[in-house]
Amino acid sequence: MTNSLNDIRHTKSMIFIGSNATENHPVSMQHILHAKEVNNAPIIVVDPRFTKLAAKATEFVRVRPGSDCAFIMGLVNEVIANGWEDKEFIRTRVAGYQEMVEVAKHYTPEAVEDVTGIPAEQTRRVAKILAQNRPTSLTWCMGGTQHTIGSSITRAFCILQLVLGNMGKSGGGTNIFRGHDNVQGATDMCVLSHSLPGYYGLSDGAWKHWCRVWDVDYDYIVGRFPDKEWMGKKGFTLARWYEGVLAEEELETPSPVKALIQWGCGTNSNSQYNRVVKALNKLELLVIVDPFPTAAAALTKTDNVYLLPGASQYETSGSVTSTSRQFQWRFKVVDPVYDSKDDYEIMSLLVSKLGFADEFYKNIKEVPEDITREINKGTLTIGYNGQTPERIKKHMENWHTFDIEDLQAKGGPCDGDYYGMPWPCWTEEHPGTPILYDVSKPVAEGGLPFRNRFGLEKTYDSSGRKENQLAADGVYNPGSEVKGGYPEFKDVVPGTNWKTDLTQETLKTAIKRGMAPFGNARARCVVWNFPDQVPIHREPLHSPRPDLIEKYPTYEDQPNHYRVMTRYKSEQKPELVKEFPYVLTTGRMVEHMGGGAETRSSKYLSELQPEMYAEINPRLANNLGIRKDDMVVIESPEGSKIKVKAFITPRVDDKTIFLPYHFAGTLMGESYLKDYPEGHEPYVVGDPGNTVTNYGYDIITQIQATKDGLCKVTRA
Amino acid sequence: MAISKNLKPSPGKSVSSGRRVTLNPKVARRSFLKLSAATAALSGAAMTTKLTGKAVAAEKTQPYTNSTTVRTICTYCAVGCGIEAEVQNGVWVRQEVAADHPVSRGAHCCKGAGAIDMVISEKRLKSPMKRVNGKWTTISWDQAMDEIGNKLTELRENDGPDALHFNGSAKVSTEMAYLQRKFAAFWGSNNVDHQARI
Repeated sequence: MTNSLNDIRHTKSMIFIGSNATENHPVSMQHILHAKEVNNAPIIVVDPRFTKLAAKATEFVRVRPGSDCAFIMGLVNEVIANGWEDKEFIRTRVAGYQEMVEVAKHYTPEAVEDVTGIPAEQTRRVAKILAQNRPTSLTWCMGGTQHTIGSSITRAFCILQLVLGNMGKSGGGTNIFRGHDNVQGATDMCVLSHSLPGYYGLSDGAWKHWCRVWDVDYDYIVGRFPDKEWMGKKGFTLARWYEGVLAEEELETPSPVKALIQWGCGTNSNSQYNRVVKALNKLELLVIVDPFPTAAAALTKTDNVYLLPGASQYETSGSVTSTSRQFQWRFKVVDPVYDSKDDYEIMSLLVSKLGFADEFYKNIKEVPEDITREINKGTLTIGYNGQTPERIKKHMENWHTFDIEDLQAKGGPCDGDYYGMPWPCWTEEHPGTPILYDVSKPVAEGGLPFRNRFGLEKTYDSSGRKENQLAADGVYNPGSEVKGGYPEFKDVVPGTNWKTDLTQETLKTAIKRGMAPFGNARARCVVWNFPDQVPIHREPLHSPRPDLIEKYPTYEDQPNHYRVMTRYKSEQKPELVKEFPYVLTTGRMVEHMGGGAETRSSKYLSELQPEMYAEINPRLANNLGIRKDDMVVIESPEGSKIKVKAFITPRVDDKTIFLPYHFAGTLMGESYLKDYPEGHEPYVVGDPGNTVTNYGYDIITQIQATKDGLCKVTRA
Repeated sequence: MAISKNLKPSPGKSVSSGRRVTLNPKVARRSFLKLSAATAALSGAAMTTKLTGKAVAAEKTQPYTNSTTVRTICTYCAVGCGIEAEVQNGVWVRQEVAADHPVSRGAHCCKGAGAIDMVISEKRLKSPMKRVNGKWTTISWDQAMDEIGNKLTELRENDGPDALHFNGSAKVSTEMAYLQRKFAAFWGSNNVDHQARI
């Protein structure tokens, strides 16, 4: 999130697209409804389903799954066509605008209607609502990302906010509500196959930086890899690790995957779940670290499976980063129960057994505080520096002193700090940055310009125009020495830059001069390192509109996409819709979380929501002869099937089937509870929705496309 | 839809279980009474015994004897709601909303309201286990770590470090997430990822 949940209190309008906050982030609703009631702010909900959030909306826009980009570019076009764009913001802080406008022109309200099913009149109306009620807070979640063009859809959201001038302002922003409690912190630490912590990437420079932080020789780490070249190559992802085991697709890896450590992560949130299960059973070693056994334990029938009882996060301590980029400290409530151990201890046992504890824990004595300090030392890119364990704990102890309107402490021991020191928090004196890219405040007090990350100038491929990438004169934070754009800081300490200077002198110098360490630049509408430099619509691989495939085709197949061949063009088969006529989309329910290992082990939550189901529109149900509570079989084009109860509801339209994905414990309705360790079975079971989510992955991130597949439905 | 045997509806008994005794018999008895009383109040059922009646009156207004309160954060979603956990003799006996938390302001969803269940659920794994001839068998931590470590070392020697894939977590602390990524680096592979990918 560029802003915070509390800051939504100040918005003048809200647009949620692919987010169902009422069900998935219920406690955020108090801030959202405050804005609706106190500011009279309209709530626009764009979703294939009439969700619980849609029930709170002033405008519900039913969009065809996977066509979000066309709708948003349509709004961009409509705003510009009417002269409603923020001309001064664009002139001074945006790059590649003209090139983007040329692309957006295609998305007239009528073209948008053809692609998305949204009436042209509604696109015009929504554009007008946004233009007349600024600033707008824009929120998306997995409904915006889990598509083959997810990376274009999310960029379109950002472009809309740039065009409207809604960035860097209270009440505005791109406010992605993160899912799991610490998905922000874990992402920032880059438990990701394409980067080292802090988004440093996998370059030589990145490895050398982290080796300095770890206080180990670079050559030692090189020696741990099969070869130096593999240090710079991305690994398999969570979305497709199992292909490394099955080795049925074309791979580019030093070795197939033979062992898996699955630590605090359910498997049934993976699409293509039948392939996942097949891979689990081919492994030579599976280690599951979790408070509960998880579906993977029951579905792996081999003898190579170990279950290690990891304590819950209430039985250990450490920091956690909220969706608003706030650091909070979990104090340990109780010791690990039974014979479970906390994560740190399990890691320590593993590392000791594998023989590299001395190097791994070189500067870590006090756990977890010394780990926080090591993070503070090395994660300069995103300002994880000033949030020391002492400061985070102080905020926890004094959370009542923070103003709910702007999250700043008014008096008391944390006076002037923003709650949780939202990153970047550059130094131990810095208060945190409550709103990203806000040039109305000094950098030392939480202000920031846009980052200079992509050079000083660029000649665009589409137009041949050359543009300065730095912000225009006159755009700067109060107190800045330079009264306009400037590049990132380097050579304050010779041979280093703001990201690699471990003395952190560069950060301090920049702030003393009233400037941002990362420069002052423009936000890009053209991303020249992506296949679609400006976001465009492309049909889902399995499209319900074969007539649109020629006009909006998908990408070429991608060999070595995170080590595995990923099909696009060869998978986009126009004839599929004849046999699989309904769009399949997935989501969550408030009572459960993720794969459901935790919540289905809670008897109270299980009682509240005990059953897997498929949402089917009454018209479709009647046409198919399906009645309330009938069991239905849903089949995917890959040939996978699930058997679930029919929930007949107009929440979905008559072309769409919705599945929650929290369930496991049955296959085609047959229970495999006997395969769980006795006494540790979940209270409620059902077929995993992800058994039938279709093949398809984002072109950049490889996120799975679970929101826009196809399926067939029959009465069981 | 199958419901496993432990959740048969049992009218009149809102809360089952003396099985919480596994934690600490004395305290578990007290929390059982407290939970029963609360559930009874919600469902409108009358509490009959004098003992329970007294417990209800006292516990609504007073902390448990010698209890302490620990501040923590809900482990479900990224809103980051505050929780005040009441602990007695090392046992989490009650959770309270954090009325003055600046983000959640005393609110919880149904999951957060039952955060305590993450610790007291009977379904929690109790010790390391391994499948032996198709049957789940309890083993010691020493045996588990020895066997896992030996197998990983063998795979590393024969196939290289990329024979291991590590799926880490968005449900651990930031410090632990950092260690997961650092582990992969020291192990010598970029085969490491977590839920943010999807």
